[in-house]
Amino acid sequence: MRKMNKLIRVTALLSAILLLVSGQAATVAKADDVPYDTYNYDYREYIHFTPAAYIPDGLRYGKEFVYNGESIGNFKTPQDMCKSPSGEVLIADTGNNRVVILDSKLKNVVNIITSFDNNGKEDKLNQPYGVCVSEKGNIYIADSKNKRVVVLDPEYNLIQIVSDPKSRSLDAGFVFTPYKVAVDYADRVYVIAQNMFEGIMVFETDGQFTGFFGTISVDISVWEKFWRRIATKEERANQKLFIPTEFTGIDVDPEGFIYATNITSDGIQGVRRLNPSGQDVIKKGQNKNLGGDLQISGLGAYYGPSQFTDVVYRKNGIYSCLDRKRGRIFTYDHEGNLLYIFGGLGTQAGTFQMPVAIEELGDRICVLDATAGTIISFKVTEYGDCINKAVALRFDGDETEAVDIWQRVLELDENNELANTGIGKAYLSGGDYENAMKYLKLGMNREYYSIAFKRYRNEILKNNASWFLSGVAVLIAAAVVFGRIRKKRKGALDND
Amino acid sequence: MTKAFSKDKWSYLLYTLTHPVDGFYWIRHGDRGSLPIAFILVILFSASFSANRLLAGFVVNDIDPRAVDSLYELLGVIAFYILLCVSNWSVTCLMGGEGRMKDILTAVGYGTMPITIGFIVSTIVSRFVADKEQAFYSIILGVCIAWGVIMIIIGIMQVHNFSVGKTLGTLILTFLAMLIIVFIILLLSNLIGKVYNFIHSVYTEVIFRT
Repeated sequence: MRKMNKLIRVTALLSAILLLVSGQAATVAKADDVPYDTYNYDYREYIHFTPAAYIPDGLRYGKEFVYNGESIGNFKTPQDMCKSPSGEVLIADTGNNRVVILDSKLKNVVNIITSFDNNGKEDKLNQPYGVCVSEKGNIYIADSKNKRVVVLDPEYNLIQIVSDPKSRSLDAGFVFTPYKVAVDYADRVYVIAQNMFEGIMVFETDGQFTGFFGTISVDISVWEKFWRRIATKEERANQKLFIPTEFTGIDVDPEGFIYATNITSDGIQGVRRLNPSGQDVIKKGQNKNLGGDLQISGLGAYYGPSQFTDVVYRKNGIYSCLDRKRGRIFTYDHEGNLLYIFGGLGTQAGTFQMPVAIEELGDRICVLDATAGTIISFKVTEYGDCINKAVALRFDGDETEAVDIWQRVLELDENNELANTGIGKAYLSGGDYENAMKYLKLGMNREYYSIAFKRYRNEILKNNASWFLSGVAVLIAAAVVFGRIRKKRKGALDND
Repeated sequence: MTKAFSKDKWSYLLYTLTHPVDGFYWIRHGDRGSLPIAFILVILFSASFSANRLLAGFVVNDIDPRAVDSLYELLGVIAFYILLCVSNWSVTCLMGGEGRMKDILTAVGYGTMPITIGFIVSTIVSRFVADKEQAFYSIILGVCIAWGVIMIIIGIMQVHNFSVGKTLGTLILTFLAMLIIVFIILLLSNLIGKVYNFIHSVYTEVIFRT
């Protein structure tokens, strides 16, 4: 008996170990494996937890990098990070008054810019806040304390200095303190400056200030107008000012559209896509929201809408926004659908203390943390990769090819509405309306469901047209015959 | 007096539907209406309301099925019905209305009939509409609801023998009365809760002391 017990115990132990091992061998990153929540919002704006789209893949401190045989020391409140067309990564190490250029693997230091040659004089950077590289490889540095944007060529020689914008639309005492900078294919410079609520400042190729761009209009509700009207002057002075919000981050896509993030008070739109004339042409998804988190109730620091601080245009219409409020990264596609959410605040590896900039390097996403002075990278999981690929196929118009990928997404995340919609649309174009209806309903896509349903209905009508028509003919005949019989009977009764 | 569910009462219901002015007048003055039928109509109204929310086709229906609880909605509809009738009665009593409580209940109950029909028909229709035909659904629903509201107004007008203007005036007062009643109920339940708490704490104190 005792032997038997032992045997049972041993087998139980063995099977438990086996279970553990097999559980760990699973490729899908579970929610427990990452130090943050990975979730998405469904049509009804309920949270549904998903597998992780990206998982932490190491972090880099400044002191790990070696340049000329010496450690370059930790980053001090770095504020911006950008990728050059050749793949190098530039970091605006604001507190150390330098720009650090790393290679694409984030392994070696290519160069460190602390000063440049200005007509024979050495000119130093002072608190470089933003940095970016044009298509030609020219480096644009928002040298904030020196109140200028420095333009260097790929050999780090000075091309020009953009400073002291002159315009009638600027206040007399305006001090130009550039924070973030971006350049489009025509070398126009877009600058987000301190206390500049009129919008993004645009400079022509020759450094001339031409005007503001993408101004966010303030809308005051009728109710607020009413209260302002009946308030006295002193009361009005004490009320908060209705000023438009500032832009926080900026990126340019290959077509020359500007992606810019801004802080919203209502959490509806935290990112804009501005066309060359400054109009917002971003597409909003089904719930008309581009503001990050939809459920924004909570306590303390966790209350309130997301605050997008930077945006990166990735490819195929996909862009990611970095929320400094809760440290989350929200990824949208070109139709404004929320693809996945990951990231969080904290002190564990893979979380942020003060995220300020986001960049995509290869298939990794890197985030710059100002407080910790670290670069945190994330690598894509199978789940994230499937979504990226399927969205890319849809962006190119090959929706039918995306079906297999969407099927795999459904295996990983049963409730993914985008996957259901994608499969449904493929069935719709393939002519299988019944299945299309099923999947489009699961994907809560009313528009396409409606189309599928109409075709399905017409198909049924067409296939059974003979039955319907003969039924109608029989009914008419029956009505005629009954009418005659009735008349005859009535006539017979009358005759009697 | 005829029975509540006699054939005459049922056919008179249909007569009221098509001749509201005449129909409601004789409900008050000729005892042609039936209170039990009115109650059944209200229950049917609530059922059709829930059914519409739950069963209408996906193309027109944006309601989360998890949010539909037909029993809860039945209680809500009945509470609203009684509240409306009680406050209307209390207002019209003071303003020289001729209707008795029974007549008001019957008139409002009969008045829900077109809305019930509208819900049922539009729910069936909604399962066949697609792509840009949603207007049919909303037209059916809108027309039936308008018809129902007009019937309820005519019903109240006729059972009290009011003019149109006076009816609308009393309806506004009725809504005010409803608010007051709700306020008093909330106040009362709050106070009763406090009294109950007091007695309960005295009771626990006594229990623990001994």
